[in-house]
Amino acid sequence: MRILVVEDDPLLGDALQAGLRQRGFDVDWVRDGVAAEGALRAETFAGVVLDLGLPRLDGLTLLRRERARGARVPMLVLTARDATEDRVSGLDSGADDYVVKPVDLDELAARLRALVRRSTGEPAPVLTLGTLKLDPAARTVTLGARPIELQAREFNLLHELMRNAGRVLTRRELEQRLYAWGEEIESNALEVHVHHLRRKLAPALIRTVRGVGYVIPRDADDLERP
Amino acid sequence: MRRRLLVVLLGLVAAIWTAAALFSYFDARHELDEMFDAHLAQSASLLIAQAGHDLDEIDEHAADLHRYARRVAFQFWEDGRVLRLHSANAPSTRMSSQDEGFADVRIDGAGWRVFSGRDPSRRYVVQVGERTSARDAIVGTMIRNMLWPLLFALPLLAIVVWIAIARVMHPLGLLNRQVVARAPDNLVPLALDAAPAEVAPLAANLNRLFERVRTSIENERRFTADAAHELRTPLAAIRAQAQVARGATADAERTHALESVIAGCDRAVHVVDQLLTLARLEPEGFAVRRARCDLQMVARECVADIAASANAKAITVTQADGPPVVIDADERLLRTLLRNLLDNAVRYSPDRSEVRVRITARDEDASIVVADRGPGVPAAERDRLGQRFHRLQPGATTGTGLGLSIVKRIAALHDATVAFDAVPEGGLAVTVSFRRAAPMAQ
Repeated sequence: MRILVVEDDPLLGDALQAGLRQRGFDVDWVRDGVAAEGALRAETFAGVVLDLGLPRLDGLTLLRRERARGARVPMLVLTARDATEDRVSGLDSGADDYVVKPVDLDELAARLRALVRRSTGEPAPVLTLGTLKLDPAARTVTLGARPIELQAREFNLLHELMRNAGRVLTRRELEQRLYAWGEEIESNALEVHVHHLRRKLAPALIRTVRGVGYVIPRDADDLERP
Repeated sequence: MRRRLLVVLLGLVAAIWTAAALFSYFDARHELDEMFDAHLAQSASLLIAQAGHDLDEIDEHAADLHRYARRVAFQFWEDGRVLRLHSANAPSTRMSSQDEGFADVRIDGAGWRVFSGRDPSRRYVVQVGERTSARDAIVGTMIRNMLWPLLFALPLLAIVVWIAIARVMHPLGLLNRQVVARAPDNLVPLALDAAPAEVAPLAANLNRLFERVRTSIENERRFTADAAHELRTPLAAIRAQAQVARGATADAERTHALESVIAGCDRAVHVVDQLLTLARLEPEGFAVRRARCDLQMVARECVADIAASANAKAITVTQADGPPVVIDADERLLRTLLRNLLDNAVRYSPDRSEVRVRITARDEDASIVVADRGPGVPAAERDRLGQRFHRLQPGATTGTGLGLSIVKRIAALHDATVAFDAVPEGGLAVTVSFRRAAPMAQ
């Protein structure tokens, strides 16, 4: 999942980026409100960690502007302002969660996962498809009783497809969701990952829609088809 | 206190009254004595005048004519030996041994005042005497009549004074009850319109005191809140970096995270130091120890102190040479002020740039200018400089936002001014001007 971290403090921003990466997220880090606005318009993120005390454009204003233009990306406010009126103001301005610094990185990661789940309407934390189970928190995949070993990028791709089960995701969308800025995307990296997933799990799992993208079906029955 | 007032008042009244009575006693006694003496003498003269009549066979006593008569007596002596005429109560012996003039004698255990006089022929001696008890009685009665009222007047006075004091103290009592009834943290001003004129000044001053206390408490609360807030982010960074270090899979990652932990701690310590400095400077009654300082020399020393951090960014800090510039200032505060100015300049300056320090002196003031080649401050923002925790580019530098607050506070303690200007080539120039001597009278 791709997360945007908006934090002006260099030490904390660096820690958030490194820490969330350790926990399986792809992280882009910007340091002021204007850069954040630009990033949100240009890219698709699964979630945003937003500090309020930002230079050039403060967090609350950014929040309101994004919501006003219809952005539905889950936004978690991470701030030093702990007064009740600040919390109320933050939540009412459009934040999906409000966390006061300092925060435990594991908790932050869990909250982000919860927000993302809610945004795509997944009721259960663990994604299932027939006997295939994907646990985003533990970052494990099991097929029946057998645990499957996946690389980080493969896991993220599978997660993304399962999250949007039944919906075709284009190449561009997948690349956006899986790669942070500055990461080199080899020309057929996506195909390679899809190939690996088919091999490790089930050939029929990921369907190619020619010229469009890839999709994972909603129902397990479709899996059995050759 | 009321009782004390009452006792003092009544005591004074009684003492003055008694003193007056005593004075009157002596005065009246004296006058009375004179009057009675005159009377005695006159009586004697009268008797002598009567001596023209034949007194040979008269041997009688005069009738009692007056209530005091029993106390007055007279004797007519012929040739000093034969008692020819006397009052009923006169003794048979001579009342006084003197032939002329006044004498105080004792007759039968009582005190008598006796006047003796001779008739022109010098055959007869008239002695007229008066029991002094008569005089005593009169004066005594007079004094008693003066002191009797005191017995009634004092209790009456006590009651009146008590009531008067009660009424005077009533407004104070009301005020006292108002203040006592308050909760300890209630600093709302007293209602002045309800207070009577006598206690209005007191109430007004109490309100002023409340105001000062409230401001002081408010400042402290705000400061504590600011401090807690300001420390959250550094602490969050430290914690997060530590977690990253713990979960790091590669050595380089771990090392980087741990170094960030240390950097975060250093920053937090710096914030705490600045906060403490500011907290120490805040109290209204902060004592400034002024002495003669050479601004040039102190500046040179501060420039030397900052060399290390300047070198880390390859920044040169230059100070124009000049003669000593003496001002009246607290040297340690002056150092703190300069340190913060230089610190800011170096922080905001890009690498390999120059920070310039210049001191100018005139008769009435001396100023020090610290100019950097950093991003500068737009005119609109210059007003907010020095507001606590206000930082222009919070993320770009590691400053605390407190440096300029400290500079402003120290300047204020010295009656100095702080001005911010733009450097023409880009950057910020901060000028602190100290007054040198008392302004000349116009």
